[in-house]
Amino acid sequence: MSRRTAFSAQTLAVLAALVAQPSDWRHGYDLAGETGLKSGTLYPILIRLADREIVEACWEEGQPAGRPRRHLYRLTIDGLAAAAAALAEGPRVAAQTAKPRRAANRRLAEEGA
Amino acid sequence: MEQFATMLTAMLRAAERLLPPGRRQWAEAARAEAVQAPGGWSRVRWLLGGLWLVAREAGVMRKVMYWTGVGAAAVVASWTIWLSWRAVRLPYFDPQAVTDRVRILAGIAAIVVLPWVGRRRGWFGPVGSSITARLVRVAGCAAMCGLGVVVVRMDSHLQRGANVGPFSLPREIVGLLPLAGALAAALPWMRSRRKKADTGALWALAATGAGTMLVVLPLQALSIGYVAAILCVTARGSSVATVSLFAGACIGVASGFAIWAVVTAWGNDDQGLIPIVALMAGLLAAPAGLIAGWARPDTGDPEESRVARMRQGAYAGAVAGAVCGLVLTYFSVVAVFMMLVGPLAGALSGAAAGALAAQYPIRPRIDGSWAAGLFVQVRAR
Repeated sequence: MSRRTAFSAQTLAVLAALVAQPSDWRHGYDLAGETGLKSGTLYPILIRLADREIVEACWEEGQPAGRPRRHLYRLTIDGLAAAAAALAEGPRVAAQTAKPRRAANRRLAEEGA
Repeated sequence: MEQFATMLTAMLRAAERLLPPGRRQWAEAARAEAVQAPGGWSRVRWLLGGLWLVAREAGVMRKVMYWTGVGAAAVVASWTIWLSWRAVRLPYFDPQAVTDRVRILAGIAAIVVLPWVGRRRGWFGPVGSSITARLVRVAGCAAMCGLGVVVVRMDSHLQRGANVGPFSLPREIVGLLPLAGALAAALPWMRSRRKKADTGALWALAATGAGTMLVVLPLQALSIGYVAAILCVTARGSSVATVSLFAGACIGVASGFAIWAVVTAWGNDDQGLIPIVALMAGLLAAPAGLIAGWARPDTGDPEESRVARMRQGAYAGAVAGAVCGLVLTYFSVVAVFMMLVGPLAGALSGAAAGALAAQYPIRPRIDGSWAAGLFVQVRAR
């Protein structure tokens, strides 16, 4: 049995969200809303991806009014290639993650986010 | 709810210090994003996730479990020593009380000292990454602590004049000297293993020491040996596969209960049951060897695969036999011989089952799926 991908379904969902807008910096709550992942799941994934240099992270520049600075994420150049390859390998995973993503979007909509 | 969220924010800020400096920014990020969440339960959930992140990244749960285990071992040791101490003052003086104390101290010392001794070379640690390895290590050490309690309680309920002797200092010294000798022999052997040094003499010395120990101080020697074996097979560098460990542990527990049920039904006073019990333990360990053999991936070389499957089968069988022996000893300390015979019988039958698994391997299903039944989905490539 050969392992086709080293990424879990949740990680692929995060990668899919980041691949959709590869040049944009995304923040954690934004990614959580899109993927349906809770913060306790999302951040460990982002940590692992950053450790593997698939994702780069930085703090928002300047001090915005009325809220703390955000921690921002986007794919590195190598990470973009790796994410595209992983997503091409795992279309089944995308279907599996669609359900929690829809549920999360519905929940956020209900909450008025 | 807002007050609760404020409290969680403060807790998260304080907990961030538990993380190494390179990781703190992630907890700070989770805290910063919490203000984006709409108030109420949604924000609380987000902050709880942040606390979970800290607990996970700082290894808090692991530390809590570790120190809980250390505390439990200390409590068991203290309780057992108190039991044996109290027994000396009771009218029905337990002649084994001091011996029990030595047994318990030997077992606890093994749990504490062996990981420390073996840490540098990775013989006993760190623990394997699988849940099975962690569970087997924790449950095994707990079982060894519990076994001490069982022995002490049994001895304290024996009547005076039973077939037990008082504490003998010469006997303990005679037993502990071979123990020290065996360890002194085993350590150089381990060091010289890669240098292809002549290990025959060391093996003989270690076997003599271990044999003497088993005769003179069976429980002390077995407890030290079991603790060492538990730490060794659950270590990260162990050659025992997770499947072998899992199958061996599960089947060992089941076979221990099954054998005890049979023995109870038959009449456990019959000495003739001893070989039958050993045979049953061996036979019941065979499925573990079979599972371990089948789970071992094919290497491409038939002879190499056969040897690897036999080896994993022997490991799984030995684990099953050891666990079975431990369970039986819990039911009756008289069955302590099974802690020695069980692993040997299990290893033999497990190796035979592993050879059988190599002879009749399970064919991998279509597309590598192990799903049973008719509905095996074939993925388009």
